[in-house]
Amino acid sequence: MKRRTLFLTFAALASACTGTLSAADLRAIPGDSVYRFDATLSDQSGTEFHLGERRGRPLLVAMFYTSCRYVCPLIIDSVKGVEHALSETERAHLGFLLISLDPARDDTAALKSVFDKRKLDAARWTLARTSESNVRTLAALLGVRYRALADGEFNHTSALVLLDGEGRRIDSSEALGATPDPKFLASVRNALEISTK
Amino acid sequence: MRLAALLMTVLLPGAAADDFVRLPGQAAFTSILKYTDSDGKVPIAPFELMTTPVTNAQFLAFVVTHPEWRRGTAPSVFAEARYLSHWGGPLSLGAAAEAAQPVTHVSWFAARAYCEANNARLPTWSEWEYAAAADATRADARKDPAWRDRILGWYAKPANVPLARVGQGSPDLHGVHDLHGLVWEWVDDYAAMLVSADNRNQADPDVLTFCGAGALATDDRENYAVLMRIAMLSALEAHNTTGSLGFRCARGARGDVQ
Amino acid sequence: MNTIFPVFTLLLCGMVALAGCSRGTSAEPPTPGNASAVAGAAPDTGGSRKGDFGPPQGEPIKAVLTSPPNVPPPTGRSAPAKVIVELEVIEKELPIAEGTTYTFWTFGGTVPGSFIRVRQGDTVEFHLNNHPDSKMPHNIDLHGVTGPGGGAASSFTAPGHSSQFTFKALNQGLFVYHCATAPVGMHVANGMYGLILVEPPQGLPPVDKEFYVMQGDFYTVGKFREKGFQAFDMQKAIDENATYVLFNGSETALTGDNALKASVGQNVRLFVGNGGPNLVSSFHVIGEIFDKVWYEGGTRYQENVQTTLVPAGGAMIADFHLEVPGSYVLVDHSIFRAFNKGALGILKIDGPENLSIYSGKEVDSVYLGDKAASLASVSTAATSNAAGTLSLEEQVAAGKSLYSGTCSVCHQDNGAGLPGVFPPLAKSDYLATQPKEQIVRVVLNGLSGAVKVNGQDYNSVMPPMSQLRDDEIANILSFVQTSWGNSGERVRKEDVTAVRASTPRAEGAAH
Repeated sequence: MKRRTLFLTFAALASACTGTLSAADLRAIPGDSVYRFDATLSDQSGTEFHLGERRGRPLLVAMFYTSCRYVCPLIIDSVKGVEHALSETERAHLGFLLISLDPARDDTAALKSVFDKRKLDAARWTLARTSESNVRTLAALLGVRYRALADGEFNHTSALVLLDGEGRRIDSSEALGATPDPKFLASVRNALEISTK
Repeated sequence: MRLAALLMTVLLPGAAADDFVRLPGQAAFTSILKYTDSDGKVPIAPFELMTTPVTNAQFLAFVVTHPEWRRGTAPSVFAEARYLSHWGGPLSLGAAAEAAQPVTHVSWFAARAYCEANNARLPTWSEWEYAAAADATRADARKDPAWRDRILGWYAKPANVPLARVGQGSPDLHGVHDLHGLVWEWVDDYAAMLVSADNRNQADPDVLTFCGAGALATDDRENYAVLMRIAMLSALEAHNTTGSLGFRCARGARGDVQ
Repeated sequence: MNTIFPVFTLLLCGMVALAGCSRGTSAEPPTPGNASAVAGAAPDTGGSRKGDFGPPQGEPIKAVLTSPPNVPPPTGRSAPAKVIVELEVIEKELPIAEGTTYTFWTFGGTVPGSFIRVRQGDTVEFHLNNHPDSKMPHNIDLHGVTGPGGGAASSFTAPGHSSQFTFKALNQGLFVYHCATAPVGMHVANGMYGLILVEPPQGLPPVDKEFYVMQGDFYTVGKFREKGFQAFDMQKAIDENATYVLFNGSETALTGDNALKASVGQNVRLFVGNGGPNLVSSFHVIGEIFDKVWYEGGTRYQENVQTTLVPAGGAMIADFHLEVPGSYVLVDHSIFRAFNKGALGILKIDGPENLSIYSGKEVDSVYLGDKAASLASVSTAATSNAAGTLSLEEQVAAGKSLYSGTCSVCHQDNGAGLPGVFPPLAKSDYLATQPKEQIVRVVLNGLSGAVKVNGQDYNSVMPPMSQLRDDEIANILSFVQTSWGNSGERVRKEDVTAVRASTPRAEGAAH
């Protein structure tokens, strides 16, 4: 574990300097892992982090934006639904990452506001923003489709994407609402079981 | 490495520096897609577009200087198994791929990386649609049945014949070649094609599917040429490649990276 | 007291009468259309509500798919199973007529696509594989699927990829499947359709031979039988102006060596679909009567049917028993489609004659001659013409094939005509004395009114043959002029073109 932390710290430093992981670091990450794209994001408290830092435990990722009226509140409900359906030990090993589709208007304060309003647990939850170009790439990696509207709103698909500890997409669910899709929940449990072995 | 790239530029006919032309744009371009938020009209700022799709030779020069994008090195998350499968090797075109043919079997990530490396970007769907509306004499020839028929003729031919070289036919009004009849082309916002997977569900009233909007409806059902391109893009994922799918780059009018 | 009793009796009678009425209306009156009601079967099968027989049992089965005109064997199952279907989409250039090719988009490499056979209640795991060489994305809508788009929403597949979805076949019947990618009409017009049979739980009654026939209309830029590669014509498709109407995707799919074969004494079943995209079929087999037709591919059958409608995007099953040998012609009885657009197939029956049932000669000598078998000479002539090396011999050979079945119907194979009705062409003084342009004009525009040939008067109507191509007319006339003691004058394609161009045409007339 320590070695990995050291490795990741080195990688983080390296990317801070060059903006990308070195070729050697990248090769260590599986070819089908989303973490091959080592984007820099910042969270609801303005702290910067690299996507690759999430490597190590399963992650539930979704994309949203704070001024979204229709589905985005439901996305948070859906993720919370998964959270509440898990046991305490299971919950401890799962992370939740919500990335904004609208970095222009979703500044850190907007993210913080939603974070507080929904009473999210910082130990597990991150609401993040990144550059528009990175948003396009991340959406492509996660299979999320979206279109910016003339008035600044977005139309987008609403999938919860499950990444395993190595960053590979293992399942996704378009089911919305507080009661999670049983098949998806089973996938989450399975991923947690594998990662805690 | 540099020398190799330079040599490549000199020796391979299709590897010359990318050629761009300027398109004037349009304040309110009528898209085939019935965007409910803007009455189907899209503002197109002036921009520059490559005159031909990126060729095998140009892409080869790119992977020489960008080893992370070579076949076998590029991770599957960025390019699926058939990435550049028509080339002889990761750094050689081989007999089946001519230098001046448009490069195919490239993913959206790879296309984007190429454009970025050349201080450019992929065009947006609207920019592509606007550019593709032109023929030799008119900026918008979409109502002309002849324009449609010529495009439909390409769909009728199967994809197992060798691709023509770029730039063969005469250019359109703006000086652009091959927007039709050669290859499908990636656009930056291919993922904005929020159309129902069952294309018969025009204006699907299920507004939860795409968060606040039903599936996009198409305005002009007779413009099947463009309809089919939309159908194609909406079927693709970013890491996909096909033998008929290539790309070209665009730039903001002043050559900025956008 | 005295008044109550009659009232009470009246009431009682009334109630009895009413009960009698309601009993009467609840039973179905026996009518010709409800054979199964007459036979005492259940009033209905319950549809999808009663079509779920529970979870699949046993090991998953890989479905046997067949290419037309073959049909997979009956499933022979008595319990629901999981069936795995792997269907590939291939875009390929195939012949649509002799000497003419077209780019078809196919399910399984054929038009129509592979035949799928399952049983009601089966769970079908469907894999749609789009070949990497495909240019277009494709999907599939199976009419036997209960679910959005019939599967289309879940099977949208880019070239070089595969989609999977699973459905339960709740309703029994014979269903069409087709691609539903925009523009749907174009995908269907290019041949993307086929049939899936969902057997009733007890299976269909056993027969000796089962065949798979599917009609479709095709729209090409060039005219009917124009040689070479033909492209799809969207405007003609929108106007529903079909160039070809064909069984199984080609003029020669069910003719000549490809004719369907069976024997006297056998029970034959035809699974007949209509992919459209536009036209409804009036399906008929010349010389036979359908003993049973499960009209629209549903549960009930009609008996003793001559011609049955097959809707675009629909199907039907026809059973009939064979008594007499010969060639039976499958047609769309909108008859110009059969003889001028190709909606024609042959069922060749061998076996002993039964003169007590039918005493006459075989059908094919009148209708077709060796049309299908000898069309090769037409191909040869076309190739030579394109290369500029067309010889008189090639023209005569091609003209002879074209003559039989078109001109021979009236003028006879030996050119003798019918005395007093149809003028002879053999050693004809009319042909000897008329200038070439006039002879061409007769074929193009027809001829009516009094005419004297070889000393006999004729006053009949010859219909215009303007649907024939210039090269075809040239070949036929070259054949006629070099046969039966005629002048031996060669007629060339240019001669016909010149006459056609100089003829004024009415609006909308064929030209």
